[in-house]
Amino acid sequence: MKIDKVMDRVTHTVFALFLVVWLSVAGIIVWGTWRFISHYGFLSPILSSRWNPLAGQFGLWPFILGSLTVTVLAVVIAFPGSLALSVLGSRILQGIWRRYFVRLLMVFVSVPSVLYGWWGLIVIVPWVRRLSGTSGYGMLSASVVLGLMILPTFSILSLEAIRQVPESYVEGSVGLGATEDQTLWRIILPAARPRLVQAALIAVARGLGETIAVQMVIGGQIGGPGLLHPAATLTTQLLTDLPFLPPGVPGHDVLDFMAFDLMVLMTIIVWLQMRIGSWRYE
Amino acid sequence: MTRTSDETTPDIEVHQLSVWYGQTPALRNVNLNISAGQILAIIGPSGCGKSTFLRVLNRMIERFSDVRVEGTVRVGSFNVLDDHVDVTQLRRAVGMVFQHPNPFPMTIFDNVAYGPRIFGMRSSTQLRKTVEDSLKQAALWDEVRGKLRRGAGTLSGGQQQRLCIARALAVNPRVLLLDEPTASLDPVSAAKIEELIVQLKSQYTMVIVTHNLQQAARVSDLVAFFEQGRLIEMGNTQEMFTAPREKRTEEFLTGRFD
Repeated sequence: MKIDKVMDRVTHTVFALFLVVWLSVAGIIVWGTWRFISHYGFLSPILSSRWNPLAGQFGLWPFILGSLTVTVLAVVIAFPGSLALSVLGSRILQGIWRRYFVRLLMVFVSVPSVLYGWWGLIVIVPWVRRLSGTSGYGMLSASVVLGLMILPTFSILSLEAIRQVPESYVEGSVGLGATEDQTLWRIILPAARPRLVQAALIAVARGLGETIAVQMVIGGQIGGPGLLHPAATLTTQLLTDLPFLPPGVPGHDVLDFMAFDLMVLMTIIVWLQMRIGSWRYE
Repeated sequence: MTRTSDETTPDIEVHQLSVWYGQTPALRNVNLNISAGQILAIIGPSGCGKSTFLRVLNRMIERFSDVRVEGTVRVGSFNVLDDHVDVTQLRRAVGMVFQHPNPFPMTIFDNVAYGPRIFGMRSSTQLRKTVEDSLKQAALWDEVRGKLRRGAGTLSGGQQQRLCIARALAVNPRVLLLDEPTASLDPVSAAKIEELIVQLKSQYTMVIVTHNLQQAARVSDLVAFFEQGRLIEMGNTQEMFTAPREKRTEEFLTGRFD
């Protein structure tokens, strides 16, 4: 057999293997979800707030709300800083400084999330506690930690978005007598906007899936309303309840349903991102 | 566009101009004068410093890193290379059209209105009038009227280049710099741009860099031949093409150039 035939077989086999594994993961989740939905319905657990899985109460709304709030707030917190850093790295720093700046951001990207959680635990939580008089654990602390965690990723993606803006636009603007600032606000950022939104969505996806850093500072209970009380997200609750709801225990299927909800949320984000990716100016 | 009496078309005076990129000289001791309202065509082989010369006139040269410029350049009342010159006002007065049409990713209207807005024009009546006048001047109005809210990207390459000319004209410049404005266009579109340049003659002092010798012969009053950063010869267009003084010029013009 020719070597390229072998390679052909290998790549096909790997692909098939990958497909099987992936489908079995999705299949297990969908199968569990199906069993759950056929018992408890689809909308009523999503809209209910009572959570007591051992007693058969599966209200997921607090977790869904928690996931969305923490993620959106984190992106809002990270956005101004990311934009500033990306402008610095793409338009202001030159040559070697720019290269080192991007490398530094990469270093921050590669910090494991447990360290961000640890930092949140020893810095942010006490700080929120002092300012608010509450325990300090809650969605606000989680958002700050998550915001800081996605900041480097968000910055690098935004930096790339800005770098994609053709220099000819900049020349056209500056050539008319516009200043660098005017060019930034009126030409560069608007031209980069679709990609900046894409960057934000990737940051949202990153935030939505983050578990450990959030778990360390959010408090892990369904507390009172507001950002300052202990709360939970879909991912942190999944992690918390895993030991209490092993396979076979009634109520185990809700974990599949939670995983399914996460997958749906992620799919929506990916879909949005692809829609925006196809935005083109006529 | 209306002219007020103090906005006369300027002349250009270049004295002992030298430019280096790092250690590499790009222009060496260039001296030349252009009278008000004339069109100078700059010709020469690739890398001879044509575009560099053009970009000195509106200081776009300083966007390149590690560049050094010496000499004096006067465009009308602007002492171009003076540290205290208002670069914003200089570039407003000295418009530039690039080799590849570079309309902004906005509507046709917003493209032309961009410059006036930068300089503080707010009134929509005024903006509409300026946009219409500029598009008429750039001979694009008849093709785009009623479509001003469409994206500039919907225009053909030639139309885009005329849009860029309209955009430059909208801030009421006195000088136009054209950097191979037809190089990326098909012959028909290129002919329209040439026609437009001839129409704009005498209202603006113009400098056009071109690889197309016929184009230089057709549109210009003066021709300057650059080679390896030096101005080899400059003169009246007709004389240059019929009886160049320098042997190098003649070789270039007749295609016996290596």
